[in-house]
Amino acid sequence: MKLRLLVALAVVALLPWILHTPYWRGILIVCAMNVMLALSLNLVLGYAGQLNLGQSAFFAIGAYVSTILVKTWGWNFWLAGLAAMIAAGLLGLALSAFAVRLRGHYLAIASLGFAVITYQILINWEAVTEGVRGIYGISPPPGFRSPVALFYLVAGIALIVYRVLDNLVRSPVGETLRSIREDEVSAAAIGVDAARWKAFAFGLGAAIAGLSGCFYPGFVGTLVPDAFNIVESFTMLAMVIVGGMGTMIGPVIGAVVLTFLPELLRGFGELRLMIYGLALTVVVLFLPGGIVQGWHALRARFS
Amino acid sequence: MTAFLALFAQQSLNGIYLGCLYVMVALGLTLIYGVLNQINFAHADFVTVGAFVAFFTATRLAARGLGLPDTAAYFVSIVLACGAGALLGLAINAAVFAPLRDRGDELRPLIATIGVSVLLENGQLALFGPIPYQFDSPFSRETLRLGPLFLTGQNLLVIGVTAAAIIALYAFLRLTFLGKALRAVAQDRETAGLMGINPGLLIGLTIVISSALAGMAGALLGPALVLTPFAGSTVIVKAFAIVVMGGFGNIEGTIVAGVLIGVVEAFTVQYLGSGVIDLVVFALLLLMLAVRPTGLIAERREENV
Repeated sequence: MKLRLLVALAVVALLPWILHTPYWRGILIVCAMNVMLALSLNLVLGYAGQLNLGQSAFFAIGAYVSTILVKTWGWNFWLAGLAAMIAAGLLGLALSAFAVRLRGHYLAIASLGFAVITYQILINWEAVTEGVRGIYGISPPPGFRSPVALFYLVAGIALIVYRVLDNLVRSPVGETLRSIREDEVSAAAIGVDAARWKAFAFGLGAAIAGLSGCFYPGFVGTLVPDAFNIVESFTMLAMVIVGGMGTMIGPVIGAVVLTFLPELLRGFGELRLMIYGLALTVVVLFLPGGIVQGWHALRARFS
Repeated sequence: MTAFLALFAQQSLNGIYLGCLYVMVALGLTLIYGVLNQINFAHADFVTVGAFVAFFTATRLAARGLGLPDTAAYFVSIVLACGAGALLGLAINAAVFAPLRDRGDELRPLIATIGVSVLLENGQLALFGPIPYQFDSPFSRETLRLGPLFLTGQNLLVIGVTAAAIIALYAFLRLTFLGKALRAVAQDRETAGLMGINPGLLIGLTIVISSALAGMAGALLGPALVLTPFAGSTVIVKAFAIVVMGGFGNIEGTIVAGVLIGVVEAFTVQYLGSGVIDLVVFALLLLMLAVRPTGLIAERREENV
């Protein structure tokens, strides 16, 4: 465990010096945010078994609440970030209060609906969000102005999130969530309050997505609703599935692969996203457990 | 007062026209859900493909190549779009739904169809480019006056074709043996299999029918859409809302909810502006899910413990 943490720290420390152009350092920051998003969705989907297609909304809330608090109300960035994370978490709780009654595909479409509504509010509530015009000139978090520093910050927080969730899913709480995922009725029969624990996972997942959202505007410098289109939810879903749902390391691998794959395919021009779509379908068809499953299969063959 | 009533009637009529278009898209989704408990996210792109096939048939092939008159060319294009949809249905069944069917997993087929959707959208983008096409239906030019109401030929055509498709679907499901078998598969796939019905074949057939409907919907929607490779996705989120409101897999519910959403949209445009349509539709959806979590017409399904 200690060794793994040291390796992870070393990788994070070295990465911006290996991929050292400004362009690739930007991709690294995006990648760290995506890792957090994939981890947050995996908690809801992979451990609590709730088909949530609205995760992009919580990412958006994190981004907009923190930016508006800083730009319009003059808050300190860290305080604003904390508030944005709490706001996203509370909204997640509110949504889950009503989502716990829904199952499977109803929840999928209801959460998709929530993402559509959030996106529409960002476009239409111009007095606060500036609508499609967008918010400009957003500065990075104070003290982390350079891309390398920002990457260290976001990746460091992603590592903390990973540690917290890793401990959580190993604890009795993780056991409870898995029991709900496998069979809610049986879980209820042994005294598990499924509704409360599902709400907990949903709220925590939303808060982490919101936390990731805090860093997005400072990195890009502008904030427009189109960055939080519902397609973003599908991308997060793809990261979780391609990596390996219901494992801790899977979503991390998925986020890294699906962040870098489109960049590496840039040479293919218009074919790029076609290859991306095809890859997604092929992974699901032939590797239902994602890359993690493929890795285990490979290891079993060669040992 | 009469002016208000005339406006009310006119907007209701526009709403029913829109609703018919949505019903055509949503029916396919609900049919697939009924027999397979799966959502096809690529359905939207089948609609787009249908619209493009119809566009090129109507404007290039039938009108210029074969020298058909406009109206005949449009009819030919609807038939071809329907065929294109059916072919896509065959393909997605063979590639995604059939291989994943027996794993009993609701998530992976969904992701696989999202992959297909990305593939189709960007394939069309490579072929047709991002600039919208102007798809004019020859029937849009003809207007009819019924007292204070205005109707275009396209309105009548869409309402007529939708009604015909619904009647044909019901006749198929209620009157033919195949339809009966299909309903049996929808109720209980395993037991139907024990009765000598081939569930795989019938599920394939359902997907083909649904996709053909999507293709046809594309041909009819084409003139109402901003025709780009991403056109279908603007309709599909509403179609999902309609399917959920109607109760997943429930055909009557889908028809009622589809027309309802069409009418709501028409009045939203009239009174609140077109920018907030999605907001109103999805607020309605969430409100309805809060009150009736299983749709307008409740899904009858026992809880298996």
